[in-house]
Amino acid sequence: MALTLTCPICGKRNGYEFRYGGEDKGPRPAEEGLTPRDWCDYAHMNKCVAGVQKEWWFHRDGCGSWFTTYRDTVRNLEVDAPEANK
Amino acid sequence: MYLREKKTDGSSLPIENHLISTDLFFRRKGERMFLKSKPLWGKRPRLKSSYDAVIIGGGLHGLATAYYLAKEHGITDVAIIEKRYIGFGGAGRNTAIVRANQRTQYNVPLYKEALDLWPVLTKELNFNLMFNNCGNLNLMHSEAAMKAARMTIATAQFHGVESHLIDAKEAKELVPALNISEDITFPIHGAMFHPPGGIVRHDAVVWGLAKGAARLGVHIHQQTEATAIHTEGGKITGVTTSRGRIHTPRVLVAAGGYSAGIINQMLGIKLPISVLTIQAMVTQPLKPILNHVVSSGAYHCYANQTLKGEIATGAHMDPWPNYTTQNTAHYIKHQAEALSDWLPCLRGVKFMRIWGGLADMTPDMAPIMDGNDPIEGFYMDCGWGYFGFKSCSATGKYMAQFMASGNCPDMLKPFNLRRYENHQLMGETAALVNYTPDN
Repeated sequence: MALTLTCPICGKRNGYEFRYGGEDKGPRPAEEGLTPRDWCDYAHMNKCVAGVQKEWWFHRDGCGSWFTTYRDTVRNLEVDAPEANK
Repeated sequence: MYLREKKTDGSSLPIENHLISTDLFFRRKGERMFLKSKPLWGKRPRLKSSYDAVIIGGGLHGLATAYYLAKEHGITDVAIIEKRYIGFGGAGRNTAIVRANQRTQYNVPLYKEALDLWPVLTKELNFNLMFNNCGNLNLMHSEAAMKAARMTIATAQFHGVESHLIDAKEAKELVPALNISEDITFPIHGAMFHPPGGIVRHDAVVWGLAKGAARLGVHIHQQTEATAIHTEGGKITGVTTSRGRIHTPRVLVAAGGYSAGIINQMLGIKLPISVLTIQAMVTQPLKPILNHVVSSGAYHCYANQTLKGEIATGAHMDPWPNYTTQNTAHYIKHQAEALSDWLPCLRGVKFMRIWGGLADMTPDMAPIMDGNDPIEGFYMDCGWGYFGFKSCSATGKYMAQFMASGNCPDMLKPFNLRRYENHQLMGETAALVNYTPDN
């Protein structure tokens, strides 16, 4: 399950250097008028896609960058951004 | 070898199943190499166009729910839809440990009932589930851990579950192979001892429940994939499978680690779940040295000796979601180091077999069991993480009650999905490690 991720600063590094930061859910919702349900949706809910997803990573044992990348959850491999997102 | 199953009248009946008798094998060799004989759960049934209830997932939770629907509630017109084969997922990949010493007041009674059900089911199903209540020993490596154990033990005792704290010397008396010296990475301070827990043969539970459910009329459709769940006016109307469309008013998704993906893909309902791969392995068989399940939070490792003599051990999850069931060299090394630290007699013993399974983790380490919300007739039983095996018997019983009556039994009420938006997460996280982005 050797995962390699591409840090925007350090380049390709061993996956164990990184901390997974969750599915990309877009910007944090505005505080004003925020319902518990919307907050829950942002904080907890996941799509659990079996396939390519956009996700956050943190280079914990490296430069400390937060970045998004695409990974295929079925093959556990970092992949290029899908055409639609380029 | 001819395996015989004892019947209640004292006569015996050949089991025409997985271990095929030699004469049967030779007689049928010309037809097909193996598995020509009828399985315990009957021949492949015809997929009907309508059922009273459809269960997606032929694992232990689905099988147990189907069994109890048929047995306790007279709902026998039930289809289990399994993409691969029964017991493919967590049901056949867990390390067979059962216990009822969880943390919260909601979880403990459910697991206690599950534990109490093993001997009952063994009789009812007329199938040896090989329940070995050898007891669980949970090692503590600091005074803080001992304090946390006291709290967990108080909860267990309050709910009538036997559990108590012992010191390192007493732990050594129970498990003589244990290294209680000070010169290891995490010296042992004591342990939480839970005598009624132990090991159940997980495959036997799959086969026993499948046999029991099929005898009561449940259709088990293997190699059948659910591809869509249909609703109309907020109600469940049917399921499309790779073998045809089924009309039904009730659907249960109990597909283990695959549940959250299925529910989001087919119904657009997102769940607070992260699906991670959990790894396990067994050593070569050894003479009996370990007669309890021993686990350690600090080493992040547990071990028990199977009836075949192998040391079954596991616990690691790579902390990012994925649907592979692969192992990592990273973890095999960790496991060897941890095990040989607190069980030094295992130094030099070889791992014989490794495997992985999926764990659907929730932020509060407690499952989600819900129904009729937001879709009438839609039920879910998921988010069990790595606790799905030890809970399956009791969950099946209560989910069946839920699906038969439409009303959530009191036992399951705290496990509803809305607890996350209501900020009522359960405190089951006492021993949570670095697993999910949620902590």
